Amino acid sequence: MAATRTIRTVCPRNCYCTCGMLVTLDERGQIVQIEGDPANTATGGHVCLKGLSYARRVGYRDRLLTPLRRRKGGAEFDPIGWDEALSEITDGLTRIRAANGPSSVLYYEGSGSHGALGGLSMAFWRQFGGCTTTYGDLCWPAGLEATRLTYGANLHNHPRLTRDSRFILIWGHNPAETNVHQWRLILDAQERGATVAVIDPRSTDTTDAADLHLQPRPGTDAALAMGIARIIVDAGLHDTAFLESHAAGFETYRARLADYPIERVAEITGLDAAAIRDLALAYAKTHPALLIAGFGLQRHHRAGQTMRAVALLPAVTGNVGIAGGGWQYANLASHCLRELPLPPEPATMRSIPVSQVARHLETLADPPVRAAWIERGNPGSQNPAAPRLRAALASLDLVVVVDQFMTPTASCADIVLPAKTLFEEEDLVTAYWHPYVQWRAKVLDPPGDVKPETEIWRLLCERFGYDTTWFPADRRAYLRRLLPPGHESALEGLMDAPLDLSGNGDVAFADRRFPTPSGRVQFASDEAVSLWKVGPVPDYAPLEEGHGSALATRLPLQLLSCKTRDRIHSQFGNLDWVREVERPHVLDVHPADASARGITDGARVAVWNDRGRIELVARVTPGIRPGVVHVIEGWCHGGDPDVNALTGEGITDINHGATFYECLVEVERL
Amino acid sequence: MSGAGFLVDLHRCVGCGSCVLACRIENGRADDQSWRRVLPINLRRHPGGPTYFLSVACHHCDEPACLRGCPSRAYEKRSDGVVIHRDERCLGCRYCEMTCPFGTPKYDAARGVVSKCHLCAHRLDQGLAPACVAACPTEALRYVAPDAAPATDARAEVPGFVDPAGCRPNLRFAVPKGARRVELFATLEQAVKR
Repeated sequence: MAATRTIRTVCPRNCYCTCGMLVTLDERGQIVQIEGDPANTATGGHVCLKGLSYARRVGYRDRLLTPLRRRKGGAEFDPIGWDEALSEITDGLTRIRAANGPSSVLYYEGSGSHGALGGLSMAFWRQFGGCTTTYGDLCWPAGLEATRLTYGANLHNHPRLTRDSRFILIWGHNPAETNVHQWRLILDAQERGATVAVIDPRSTDTTDAADLHLQPRPGTDAALAMGIARIIVDAGLHDTAFLESHAAGFETYRARLADYPIERVAEITGLDAAAIRDLALAYAKTHPALLIAGFGLQRHHRAGQTMRAVALLPAVTGNVGIAGGGWQYANLASHCLRELPLPPEPATMRSIPVSQVARHLETLADPPVRAAWIERGNPGSQNPAAPRLRAALASLDLVVVVDQFMTPTASCADIVLPAKTLFEEEDLVTAYWHPYVQWRAKVLDPPGDVKPETEIWRLLCERFGYDTTWFPADRRAYLRRLLPPGHESALEGLMDAPLDLSGNGDVAFADRRFPTPSGRVQFASDEAVSLWKVGPVPDYAPLEEGHGSALATRLPLQLLSCKTRDRIHSQFGNLDWVREVERPHVLDVHPADASARGITDGARVAVWNDRGRIELVARVTPGIRPGVVHVIEGWCHGGDPDVNALTGEGITDINHGATFYECLVEVERL
Repeated sequence: MSGAGFLVDLHRCVGCGSCVLACRIENGRADDQSWRRVLPINLRRHPGGPTYFLSVACHHCDEPACLRGCPSRAYEKRSDGVVIHRDERCLGCRYCEMTCPFGTPKYDAARGVVSKCHLCAHRLDQGLAPACVAACPTEALRYVAPDAAPATDARAEVPGFVDPAGCRPNLRFAVPKGARRVELFATLEQAVKR
């Protein structure tokens, strides 16, 4: 083990954990060890199987190492040089812009690899004269905006304070699989005597370990939250001192609770009234109580009002601004970096909702989209209406995809450019669970002909004769200038440890000052009305595509397509090391629903609705709520189900999110 | 007297497989089978019992069947209890694959020898935890030093794991916690006893 060296870096995936990592290389530059960075006190010196799998991924046999060009009229690709690839792209973009203007080019970037330098793509597009981009987010925006409307900011306690909780209510979230480092802290709290309660229509590794588990109908969480609040207030267990000093609109909200007697809530949610009451009373009586909400309960049209209803429970019970308590959804404390210096934005920029890329590729006029550039994302697998999106891409005049592997999206490209991995370029990475800004070190040189995206954009600017001084000449000096005011000297410190540069402290809202219009927690919000045209207080309304809807008479099952531990959407599952330990991609179906359809465990089934159809193997499990079926999302390799053939292109009531879990289907045995 | 071994906390283990990958990296097994496996119990969530995971490698038994059955003395038991396989003495006869009741030894066809977990003895000798233990994100997998008293609630047998050949494996389990899981686990144990 002579002459090894260890480099501190960070995992930049779209994941809660954003783990600090220590990577050890031998004298030949081969990775011989990947460990967690103990200086990141949220992840506690651990990574996960995905972090460990980078040892396989960087040199994996399927990794793309050269630019590729599609053979004319075929499905095969041939390796080409960068000169040829860039010439072809330059000619194509120039031609299309001349005919239809710059906004006939779609620029799509996903969340596949985080880093401040990702924004440098705009140094090209703004000089190009604009393009069509996307707005909104596929994942979490309704919950973010609901939290902002309620508390004024997306902040929560430092994760390690989870250990101080006496009651942990996990709602629409599965940290044992999707935030495994938070799970460690929750288990620690539970071993110290905390009660863990989970609200999830499915049974998961999280619900297995819980003390209480409620399985409501998907899409009814707003009613459940209002019902829980009603029980708490009726029992006089609300924190009157906190509410008098720190609530705005509580009386309006309280009046609305009259609409949520427990009998009605039990009816809507399909839960036992006594179980709801037990949960509500236990949550209200145990201090401090932490409410952790996931993204799962906001993937439908009523997402914003649902999240506002749930987010208010910590305020009702006075669990705000204290260690061990709080509302935990997303912590944007680390999102304090300065904006990249970029050329001015041209007026010709156009933007489409990210959950409706397929529809807009098909229908946009004045000008139509004729070319697309896609990087750090795999919309051909991960966006709603994925098969239509792939077909639309295939019909364009020029599609460029930058990726590490030949994904379903890359398969639609004319030119595929090989992407760097996290180890191959320096950058700064922020998080959304812990408060740390982290330094992403350069650990390895890019292999083969791989170039970082920043270099691709700079070369393209050169081709077009654009100003390339927007790109960093001295990368560290450039990144130093992105640090928040007063912290410019922190760059070297970041190389030694993750840093919280927010100045917020470990307890969010410890001073009980809320950056809302009233300075208080907004139980009623005029902003919600003016910005999003929803009611001033949260409310429940049934899903248009949910239980009891007209469509449900024909398509009676609610499909959830959830996340799991061994992949981040469509990443990682292509690796043999991961496939060895991954969970099967089966359709979870309740025995009652299965027997009604003659489906036995292990049978091959078709899942269909008016949008599409997939086939896979059924797993008959009493763990899932009757009327609900589930499959793990993320198309990583051949044989994975194309679940977004079934999902719709809806947009959430608040903040332009996607509606993946508002998806009725029928299942039949093949 | 008991030797060095592992402890799996059945409440904390989420079956993620980090231990499997850490073993691959540490022991140069990128292209061979990992020495560690994760065995899920009841992924269908049958109501008769809980769902949990057994992360298993070599149990470094007090009475190792691999060692007893090896004609070439390729196995050694160190004074701390770690059972080591010596590649250079291995004939590749694969008898140990048959004698080990736990399916631990793995045959590497390319090299013509068997190999197995050595409890990262090279790391133990430097005062480090085995790689699988160090990598466990929920701290469910733990190293138990020889003669160390295991965690108070640890036990040698749980449903899904038995010692059929009297090997006295040095694998301990911390049993599930959480109100629902405790109840289901007790139900399963009763069922197994019947």
